Amino acid sequence: MGVAQGPLLTMHGISKRFGAVEALTDVDLEVHAHEVVALIGDNAAGKSTLAKIVAGALTPDSGLIEINGEAVTIPTPAAAYNLGIATVFQDFALCENLDVTANLFLGREMHGALRRSDEEMERITREVLDRLASRIPSARTPLGSLSAGQRQSVAIARTLIGSPRIVVLDEPTASLSVGQTAEVLTHIERLREMGLGIILISHNMTDVRAVSDRIEVLRLGRNNGSFVTQHASYEEIIAAITGAPRADALRHPTGATLSAVS
Amino acid sequence: MSTDLNLVPTGGPLTKNSSWRERFGGLGGNARQYGIFAALVVIILLFQGMTGGRLLYPDNVAALINQNAYVMVLAIGMVMVIIAGHIDLSVGSVVATIGGVTAISIHDWGLSWWLAVLLALVLGAVVGAWQGFWIAYVGIPAFIVTLAGMLIFRGLALAIVSQSIPVLDPTFNGIMANSLPNFLGRLGDADILTLVIGALLILTTIWAQMRSRSALRDHNLAVEAVGVFVAKIVLAALGIGVVTWLLSRSTGGTPIALAICAVLIVAYTFIMGRTVFGRHIYAIGGNRQAARLSGVSTRSVDFWIFVNIGVLAGLTGVIVTSRLGTALAAAGNGFELDAIAACFIGGAAVTGGIGRISGAIVGALIMGVLNQGLSIMGVDPSWTQVIKGLVLLLAVAYDLVSKRRAGTQ
Repeated sequence: MGVAQGPLLTMHGISKRFGAVEALTDVDLEVHAHEVVALIGDNAAGKSTLAKIVAGALTPDSGLIEINGEAVTIPTPAAAYNLGIATVFQDFALCENLDVTANLFLGREMHGALRRSDEEMERITREVLDRLASRIPSARTPLGSLSAGQRQSVAIARTLIGSPRIVVLDEPTASLSVGQTAEVLTHIERLREMGLGIILISHNMTDVRAVSDRIEVLRLGRNNGSFVTQHASYEEIIAAITGAPRADALRHPTGATLSAVS
Repeated sequence: MSTDLNLVPTGGPLTKNSSWRERFGGLGGNARQYGIFAALVVIILLFQGMTGGRLLYPDNVAALINQNAYVMVLAIGMVMVIIAGHIDLSVGSVVATIGGVTAISIHDWGLSWWLAVLLALVLGAVVGAWQGFWIAYVGIPAFIVTLAGMLIFRGLALAIVSQSIPVLDPTFNGIMANSLPNFLGRLGDADILTLVIGALLILTTIWAQMRSRSALRDHNLAVEAVGVFVAKIVLAALGIGVVTWLLSRSTGGTPIALAICAVLIVAYTFIMGRTVFGRHIYAIGGNRQAARLSGVSTRSVDFWIFVNIGVLAGLTGVIVTSRLGTALAAAGNGFELDAIAACFIGGAAVTGGIGRISGAIVGALIMGVLNQGLSIMGVDPSWTQVIKGLVLLLAVAYDLVSKRRAGTQ
């Protein structure tokens, strides 16, 4: 594929209000193919709001969204899927009463004239689970009887259904063990190798630095700095997140996760 | 197990524990379902003994189906509403209103029977769309909307029917009074048409089961053990066979009501089990937010399940009016509770997301058999109510306890 010329996803001047609260003000974001963009910021910085706008779960009050240079609107999650956007939401967004196959294909079921193509969906599910080398015993297991880590791998497996161009991961490692986190990061790298554009929302600086190419900082709903991961120092990033002058930021111990920074 | 690094590439072979789970995983979900069927059989045998064999007199079986057709039809719609996490309290009143309009359309406007039936179904859809609009698009809880509907449509029924309106169309009244014409004659005691239908049903069941099994095989997916598969088919065939044999010796053969219910059961089992719409109903009941974020159009699903139960309530209006030969303002009183009870006895979860058409039907039949058995035994109707209440309580308690023991929630 080589390096893509234009950005895959461009968001320009995005604003979103909830009543009196300005969640996002004039936010810009660009994601290229073969790129992992980390979206970081303190609590209530607007990260999840931005992710939900990309995912079609929220519509912005103003602003322009372009995919491959074409202006688009993303009014619903189904529209996002059709535009090639796959999202893993913070709280997993899975149905515990349905089995693994049903969750993987939820909202995008394969079907004939009347009947769902259950056999075909289960076959693909097994392939995807094998690719993720997950330890989920059966594609027919109801989600309710899986562990948190197994559920997370189902949520992530959803990004392999269809052929998305852009993957949004909202806190994908929040509830995972060290080993599980490593596997999620490997999966993100795999997605990048496949030429996808990835937006990674995380509180965990170690994860962000391990896997991202670029770091975009949001603070109080506004852009507050953009860094090339390789060249950025913790101090610079933390300063951008907290809005503190750099001298202040130096007092924070390096390597702390950002959630520890108030 | 919760600390499993399930994403680690070196997955390795499945542990013994999970392979056991994989083998019986498909059965686990159905185990409760089989339990309900077993409970129905036990209750039937119990009353068969206590009534000295009178419960299963051929004509009593036909009467049982005719008397409980309304619960089965409503329970089909209700279980879909309950699975989606809602409730519908209005169906009894809707039945009365639509039954009233149907009677007026025949008695006063002179509509032919089939136009009256069509009118009832269309009116049901309109009523369902009305309630579905408030629930799905305005966002008022279904409990409130249908509670309002319960008042509104009972009031409308009283206003248009006042006391009662007779229906004198013999074809319309025949919907519930008659059986399928036994034009094939009788073989000794037995109505041949009923035997033929029964035989076709058994063959279709076997064919459908074989087909879905071979579809799984074609995709290299796990199938049930042969023993379980064969046992399932044999039991289903036996059940259909016994009912067929009994009905074939009844005065009329196959009641039309049974034919209506059978068509609905097959169609709705397919909708809930095999279509995208059915999957979305379960998804909404399981986790509405997740379903919405995954691209399920939750509003339109909500809307259509209420349109659907509206149409079924319209059909029930026809069934009740036809059975009584008259429309009553008080018709359908308490039907919503019968239907809801049938769903919960049949294993539906109060929290939504869980339930089946077959369960709701079996629940309706359990209540019907209790009613009929106790009334044959001459038990006072007030005690019948007490017993039905206790059965509902015990069924749901059993459900909860067995779920807790299985370790899910």
